[in-house]
Amino acid sequence: MNTLAVMRLELRRLFVRPLAWVLAGLTLAELGWRFVLLLGNFLGVQIKLAALPGGPGFTDMVAVPLLSSLLTGGLVPFGLTELAIVVVPLLTMSTLAGERGGGTLRLLLATGTPAWAMVLGKYLAICIWMALWLVLVLLMPLSLAHGTHLDWGKLAAASLGVALLLATLAAIGVACSAYASHPAVAATASLLLVLGLLMVNLGAQTAGVANGLIDWLALGTHLETMLRGLVTSADLVWFALVIAMALVLATWRLGTERRRG
Amino acid sequence: MLIADTPPLLQLTQVGRRRGGRLAVSGLDLAVRRGEVVGLLGINGAGKSTTLSMIAGALAPDSGRITLDGTDFVEHPELARHLVGWLPERAPVWPELTVLEHLHAHGRLRGLAGAGLREACARVLGQLELQALDRRLAGALSQGQRQRLGLACALLHGPALLVLDEPASALDPVQVAGLRSLIRAQAAAGVAVILSTHVLAEVTAVCDRVAIMHGGVLRHDGPVGSDGQAGLERLFFDIAVRGQPAASASGAAA
Repeated sequence: MNTLAVMRLELRRLFVRPLAWVLAGLTLAELGWRFVLLLGNFLGVQIKLAALPGGPGFTDMVAVPLLSSLLTGGLVPFGLTELAIVVVPLLTMSTLAGERGGGTLRLLLATGTPAWAMVLGKYLAICIWMALWLVLVLLMPLSLAHGTHLDWGKLAAASLGVALLLATLAAIGVACSAYASHPAVAATASLLLVLGLLMVNLGAQTAGVANGLIDWLALGTHLETMLRGLVTSADLVWFALVIAMALVLATWRLGTERRRG
Repeated sequence: MLIADTPPLLQLTQVGRRRGGRLAVSGLDLAVRRGEVVGLLGINGAGKSTTLSMIAGALAPDSGRITLDGTDFVEHPELARHLVGWLPERAPVWPELTVLEHLHAHGRLRGLAGAGLREACARVLGQLELQALDRRLAGALSQGQRQRLGLACALLHGPALLVLDEPASALDPVQVAGLRSLIRAQAAAGVAVILSTHVLAEVTAVCDRVAIMHGGVLRHDGPVGSDGQAGLERLFFDIAVRGQPAASASGAAA
């Protein structure tokens, strides 16, 4: 019950603050532009691709690259994933650090709301905002579904991967906000942590070291598999573990708030 | 039945708390009964706000025991949900929410919903004369209006214990008179009220008992004396200057 109350409060605050709208507007505009460019590029090579047996189609060249440039790179290198790495820390930075700075965290604590309910409520509110964001982005390729051949399985796997990535970024952001005294510190810490998770295996790869553990730790390893259309339980477990660990750490920190003062 | 005959709703036993590396509250014993209004006095840094934060459930004591309605409040901070209403110092708000949205949010956090929530909101908006401001953003309110909003949030769920940290600090004289009536009405309805203030007249006007803290220690706890504000002033300044009540002053106030 209290989780729902905190979630409603956080959602309301999110939807009346200009930051969320500005971020949504700017990112959707960039992604719309990216969609048009990707589509134009696809239409330009469509006839050649049609001659290739098993060649890439609309899903590989437009829908999935719109979600992430992790596989394709190149043409406008900011898909939803790359934007989320910057946007999500900005959205989550105030969830707890802002409450602490404004004195309202004490009010929430004094309502007898358990720490886990506060963390979960705020996390769910951010997840709802991001789910809407993801749906609006997916509507772009889906709007052409009737006139093109969509690989539904691959798109579903890629969408699930991006949804899990967004949920992971939100959990890390909320955890950083629970530990930080200022929202800006929370956003910076969250951004650095996510970049660390993305690049943890790059050094090893550059040095020519093939290390299964380091690769397993890297966020990109698990997202890439799903962007290619493959959903494995190992990847799902990785996302679930990171989300759970971040939320548990946030809850633990908030649980000590009454003692810390 | 006299107030003194009833068991305390709130009981603090040897409560201590460090803040910012110093002892903010030490060995505090205090009991508040239903229907009683207790004024908490002290100079800045005496430990009043720390004490009230602990009573409200926002801060845990380092030592000692706090019981609320006979149950350990430190072990069960969820008791605050229904039993405690708190107006913190400077009444923090979510500036992007309207007055009504604040009340709805606080009501939901306190377990109110539907018609009960709407009725409670209408009641406190009327009590605090906030009807005309219900759609105004909290960030655009004056400090006095914020204070009234904070008080409305504290009263919304009909708590058994009302904790008010300098409730009259930004109110005009008419609003102060209204606040005094409201506090007395709450006490008459059986609500235990503990309020901190720097205004001694506030204590003589509404409080049944006065507790004076100095250096984190409770130096005086007794009924508001028959010689009113003059006696209280003597007692307060004795404690503020000397750190403890003079025997005659203590006797005069009690």
